[in-house]
Amino acid sequence: MDRAEFVPRRVYIDKESLGFALTQRILKNIGQTPTEIIHDPQGFLESRKISRDSLKHGRKDMFITLQRGEFVKSCPCTPHYIGCNYFIINLDLNCPLECTYCILQHYLSDPIITVHANLDELWRQLDFFLKKNRDRILRIGTGELGDSLVLDHITENSKDLVSYFRKKPHALFELKTKTLNIKNILNAEPAPNIVISWSLNSSRIAESEEGGAPSVEERIQAARQVSDKGFRVGFHFDPLIRYSGYEQDYKRVIENLMDSVETDRIAWISFGSLRFPPSLKPIIQERFPKTKIIHEEMIKGRDGKLRYFRPLRLELYRTVISFLKEKGGSIIPLYFCMESESIWRDILGWVPKGKEDLEAYLSAPQRKLIL
Amino acid sequence: MNKTQLALKDIYLEDERFRTSYHFPLEKLMISLERTGLLHPPHVTLRDNRYILVSGWKRVLACLRLSLSEIPVFVVDEKDDLHAFSLAFYENLATREFSLMEKAEILAKLKRFGEDEERIIRHYLPLLDIPQTLSQLDDYTALAKFDPDVKKVIIEKNMSFPSLKLLLQFTRQDQKRLLPLISPLGQNKRREILEDVLEISKRNDIPVQRLFLSEEIQAILTDSSLSSVQKADRVRLLLRKRRYPTFSSWTDSFDSVLKTLGWPKDITVLPSPFFEEEHFTVQFTFENLKQFKANLSRLEELSSHEDFMKIFQLK
Repeated sequence: MDRAEFVPRRVYIDKESLGFALTQRILKNIGQTPTEIIHDPQGFLESRKISRDSLKHGRKDMFITLQRGEFVKSCPCTPHYIGCNYFIINLDLNCPLECTYCILQHYLSDPIITVHANLDELWRQLDFFLKKNRDRILRIGTGELGDSLVLDHITENSKDLVSYFRKKPHALFELKTKTLNIKNILNAEPAPNIVISWSLNSSRIAESEEGGAPSVEERIQAARQVSDKGFRVGFHFDPLIRYSGYEQDYKRVIENLMDSVETDRIAWISFGSLRFPPSLKPIIQERFPKTKIIHEEMIKGRDGKLRYFRPLRLELYRTVISFLKEKGGSIIPLYFCMESESIWRDILGWVPKGKEDLEAYLSAPQRKLIL
Repeated sequence: MNKTQLALKDIYLEDERFRTSYHFPLEKLMISLERTGLLHPPHVTLRDNRYILVSGWKRVLACLRLSLSEIPVFVVDEKDDLHAFSLAFYENLATREFSLMEKAEILAKLKRFGEDEERIIRHYLPLLDIPQTLSQLDDYTALAKFDPDVKKVIIEKNMSFPSLKLLLQFTRQDQKRLLPLISPLGQNKRREILEDVLEISKRNDIPVQRLFLSEEIQAILTDSSLSSVQKADRVRLLLRKRRYPTFSSWTDSFDSVLKTLGWPKDITVLPSPFFEEEHFTVQFTFENLKQFKANLSRLEELSSHEDFMKIFQLK
């Protein structure tokens, strides 16, 4: 896709989702896009799995269906590395941005963009879940199995989510995106427990590996607008990628970020280096034969995923985080995604005792606001 | 389908449109034919007024080697190639296992004869014990495109599916350059070489040919004192170092510290896998307190050596 707003090639509608308000809203927003009613969703998905057209164009199609399982799940993280106790809302699945390294290519068996229309069930499950966890401040978001905002001009889900979570101060709700799709956010009323986050990378990586996403400069400008509106913002430098000259490129993006967004508006910044299960490698090779990022010096980590050899990761993190600290980022809560104790100790100087410890660290400012 | 006697010379073997098996040994079949005769007649069909073989290549080639003049055959009255081929497929399916390359040929031919892709995936892949996915179908049909001489080596050396998938990523010339090198090795080492060559070539933008023309690799390949297995193994280790330069330098440094310390062979000391953790593991065996204390004492002595601290720089 180009970097403009995503327009689906075709929208398939599970007939059971036709009566839902979200389905009708989507139909209104997609204009002349062709639609097709699906009477047998299981059979539809099965046949797409073996369709050449689906393999090639799947991420351009949209499927509106019902979430028949759980909307809210614990982020699976990865074994043997430190987790952050994050919860994910499986509202939309898949993403049209076509980042070369995207785990969803491996994780989701069908490339179709899936939207779950039964929001009443989502609110019911969220009410139950938040009530059960009312004694803690938990972090929850929609950006794990898809980009939180890439479909927002079609679904307008951010309006409902922000308005729901505004009334739940014990939940730190995060919308995570690479897009500039912030119209609905800018029209919403900010709340201290709502964080809008952007995934950032060096401009070179954004250009070569995040082909469907806007430039890093544009993302930072979008973050600035959202921050100026009064929302707290977050940033995820994930995956950090090594290449010749990465130091200067990451320095530039950090300087741009720190010059653009007020430090005290930044809820957190996370870091993670490129990692993926070995079985994703042939998929990336086949879909993006020009990418070189998967051919760097990567070893099998304790979780079986390929990741940079530890001294190379240390160098990468040390470099990027030192730039951030030089620019006044020491007061921002920083954390690693799926990293080892030794990396935490060497780079950030402390190791969370467990995922609850990290949750408490990241939600500390929120706790102050509530108590 | 009629059974009849047919002169072997009347079977036009140049037409291999239905053939899926190549490079097979005939000796045992020839012994069997000599003892029992041809109990299962091959299938033939008419194309352009000539009999061509639908199934039974091994049997017919063995009969030719035995210089038989005529054999019993079933004549398949089927004008459609796909139908004739599926008949051959089902005949073989019931009686034997297909090899990797036979599966590849079968799937490629089903596609060539116009079988619907969805039907191949849903119907034929499970019969061939292949997962029902489009990518599996693509991978297998790609294998059928190897050059005949490459296929010969693949079959003779019983190369594994993962290695073949890697081999497919090389040019035809590079495939021919690599095959003699990796053939003497076991499956895992073959795959390791193919992976490393691919990675180095892609990462550093070096054509495979140039990589192989490097002084170090040429020195190994032209060393007449080395066997083909030794050459392959040395090239493998060299490629490993090039693919993992930092990791290799850490491993070398670790080994070098142990060498300087004169580390005893009966006490194992290991870093965590890929130095991913900061810890090291020491292991020794003992049968009694005396042996246990002797090992501890040797470790104590080793740890007092100034070079011992160099180990901790590797974490």
